[in-house]
Amino acid sequence: MTNLIRSNFQDHPFHLVSPSPWPLFTSISLLNLATSAALSMHNFNNGYILTILSLILVISSMSFWFRDVISEGTFLGNHTLAVQKGLNIGIILFIVSEALFFLAIFWAFFHSAMAPSVELGGQWPPLGIEPVNPFELPLLNTVILLSSGATITYGHHSLIHGDRKGALYGTIATVLLAIIFTVFQGIEYNVSSFTISDGAFGTCFFFGTGFHGFHVIIGTIFLSVALWRVFDYHLTDNHHVGLEGGILYWHFVDVVWLFLYIAVYYWGS
Amino acid sequence: MFLQRSAVALARRAAVAPALRRTLATTAVRRNQVPERKFKSLSEVKTDEDLIGPGAQPGTVPTDLEQATGLERLEILGKTEGVDVFDMRPLDASRKGTLDNPIPVRGVGQEQYAGCTGYPADSHIVVWLRMTRDDPIERCPECGSVYKYNYVGPEDDGHHHHHHVEPEYPEPKTWADYLKPEYKWA
Repeated sequence: MTNLIRSNFQDHPFHLVSPSPWPLFTSISLLNLATSAALSMHNFNNGYILTILSLILVISSMSFWFRDVISEGTFLGNHTLAVQKGLNIGIILFIVSEALFFLAIFWAFFHSAMAPSVELGGQWPPLGIEPVNPFELPLLNTVILLSSGATITYGHHSLIHGDRKGALYGTIATVLLAIIFTVFQGIEYNVSSFTISDGAFGTCFFFGTGFHGFHVIIGTIFLSVALWRVFDYHLTDNHHVGLEGGILYWHFVDVVWLFLYIAVYYWGS
Repeated sequence: MFLQRSAVALARRAAVAPALRRTLATTAVRRNQVPERKFKSLSEVKTDEDLIGPGAQPGTVPTDLEQATGLERLEILGKTEGVDVFDMRPLDASRKGTLDNPIPVRGVGQEQYAGCTGYPADSHIVVWLRMTRDDPIERCPECGSVYKYNYVGPEDDGHHHHHHVEPEYPEPKTWADYLKPEYKWA
């Protein structure tokens, strides 16, 4: 390739993004979501309507934004190796920040549980609380989540080896296991003998498991998008940053559950 | 590693049976009409239009060589031939550039910036120097190293002879403007 022809193409490997409305749309939607969520949590009249509207706005803005990223990466070829590296670092930094978020939740739990105050009866679980038996549904959920880690690894390695069926089945199995986990958590919440307003135990329990469940739902969506992109021939055996991001996120959610299971469900009961 | 993998992948593709089964009558006809699935190598690439692969066969996982487009494809085509299309190496810092023997700075635009960190490299903070096609020589005010713009882009097409890029502010007058031109880089 001569210098003359080389000069037809961008000289550097970086992706200088084109103007986009989605950062602004997402920012405004998130501000609306935060304020309206605060309103509805304080029982302002019809606050929940604004919350639901904002949530729809956030999801829509994010969807359009990610659609553009997919166009740029898969169809326009803007994601060179240097860009993929940047995306990967972004995902890892995001997960690190999430880990610190959960660290704070665990801190709150251990603060109350390791030195229970007299108001709690000087014991943990507090007097009068009937905690969930960790060897019933939570144990099954642990098995389900660990299995989903295995199935997604099967799907990922199948993709790398060019086995389309394996990649699809592995990812489908993972998404199904994820949905089953969420359903089981829903059942557990329904039959629980305590609520989020039952003192420090209920607060810490639902704070931790609730946010974990929320992250499971996000991870399920993440992996579902990756599944669609395998199905739609977006992902190659070598370039599948979106799927790998989803997998990393999924393993993170998995690890958080192990900590929750050991600390909150087992030790905390 | 990449070469190895893509070679294996290509060999694997070749062994895959056609995924679409048609009736016997049309199969023979269609077979002969299947266009040759070939992609352009780096030396055949001229414009963006050439940076599109043949695509994957139905039912298979695409490889980068089959499916990557655009700049990503250019990079991959380069890698298969051992060519680093994005030369991201730092400028030559094995010596201090002089007016007789300046450090070349490759570029394809009308102007080019280069960051000097002195000799040996990182001797001083980065000083950004701006070179243009009309004024290709620049000297670092910190260490005195000389750089020269090595333009490798397209030649003038005859319609726009004057490509002079006006700086945002005019260059300040120096002794070179009043006494001797060679004082410019002194």
